Amino acid sequence: MEVLQKYKRLLIITFLVNAVLVATHQGEFWPFSIFPMFSQAGNPWSRGLIEEVQDSSRTDLWEIKPLEEIENRVLTMEDYGIHEIDFANYISKTKVWDDGKLNGLRSTFQIDQYPGKMWMATRVRGYLTENDSVVIETIPMFLFTADTTIKNPNLFE
Amino acid sequence: MGTFINKIVYNLFTFDEPDSVGAKLQLRFVEGYVIIYSYYYMWSWGYYIPRLSELVLPLGMANYIPVELFYDYNLSVYAALFYTIFTLIAFNSKKYRWLYALSFLLFHLQYVVRFSQGEIPHSTNLFGFTLLGLGLGGAFIKGIRNQLIFAFGLTIFFAGLGYTSAAISKLVARGIFWVDGNHLWLWIGEKKIDRLAKFGEFEYTFMQELALRSRTIATSVLIFGFVAEICAVLMFFKKYRWIFVSALVALHFGIYMTMNIFFSAATWLLVIIGFPWDYWINRSSLASVLNSNSFIMKYILYQDEPVTDPDQREEV
Repeated sequence: MEVLQKYKRLLIITFLVNAVLVATHQGEFWPFSIFPMFSQAGNPWSRGLIEEVQDSSRTDLWEIKPLEEIENRVLTMEDYGIHEIDFANYISKTKVWDDGKLNGLRSTFQIDQYPGKMWMATRVRGYLTENDSVVIETIPMFLFTADTTIKNPNLFE
Repeated sequence: MGTFINKIVYNLFTFDEPDSVGAKLQLRFVEGYVIIYSYYYMWSWGYYIPRLSELVLPLGMANYIPVELFYDYNLSVYAALFYTIFTLIAFNSKKYRWLYALSFLLFHLQYVVRFSQGEIPHSTNLFGFTLLGLGLGGAFIKGIRNQLIFAFGLTIFFAGLGYTSAAISKLVARGIFWVDGNHLWLWIGEKKIDRLAKFGEFEYTFMQELALRSRTIATSVLIFGFVAEICAVLMFFKKYRWIFVSALVALHFGIYMTMNIFFSAATWLLVIIGFPWDYWINRSSLASVLNSNSFIMKYILYQDEPVTDPDQREEV
């Protein structure tokens, strides 16, 4: 009897703490959450890929392309210890690409250890059209080599 | 209102035979499963965190403390080490089970450091509730059995609340049209990119092909998922718990088949807490095998604790 009352008190207190924490932290305070995953149905999304570039003088290098055009040149991030979701968030949520942010990306890639490689950090955008078909397009952002970083001239002045 | 809350408390925190070998085994299994599985997270995050350099999104305690410090000095590896030591001591002792409270804080810290890059995964939240329950139990409740029962009930409470909250979030964001099948098409495209990025290749599963071929099938998949989530709060009531937990387990397998995401940690925890394993074990030959093993009974199943006060089983 007594222990059930104690359980009840602890449960109510934990529930209230949960309510306060999620209300004051935009719905997330691990492990408390409003669990909003998949709630934004139909909204455009943004992810990330790395394209392995063989020829940096290609005329379409910096152009927005459909996924099919780069699908067979995608770098397998798992082989290089790069976390694909971290990369996707980094490339899609960063608003100002200052030196710190670019160096952060370089440090995630650790491309300095792969001389001769050229990796294009690519943002991927998906959305529904008015006739309900899904469009996926790729936006080249930065070309990384072992010693340089080149920004897409069409996006960055 | 009071009676209703009491009914929920009774359903969450009572076992029909709390001192039976079946109940003890189920409770200890929940504890052991969460602790052992959590080592995978703590250590893999511990070794990954030193690769990070920029704070993108502060979560939880990261809003108040400089978590960037944890990117250096191998602090995240030390956090994993202390977590392992604390939980091992807590699991194997009666006196130091309050160490679970410190373990919970360490897990929170490691989580907010690891996920300071923009992603907000929910794969470990259920573990978090069990750890929190063990921590609160260790600090405020006497006796291993009572502490474990509290952690068990708290996990079920927040699991039910969490899934139902997920359904409500969907209703708030999109209303009833959340279940439109073309939304699933868009997510399949999104998950395709994640797989392609990780493995360099991607092939549609059978379920994805079905869903992409027919909007009706895609909509049906989403309707099932939504109903399973909105009803999850009914798992508070132990008589029907297995039905709603089964629906959630099916939901997770559905997510795996349509979106290539499998929340294994949460799914198996649901299986462990959501079915009457205590009843089944007590009526199986395993019960007599365990009862005759003095080592297991004494050290794993806390045999030397006094049995439950019969009053405890009555409704409050």
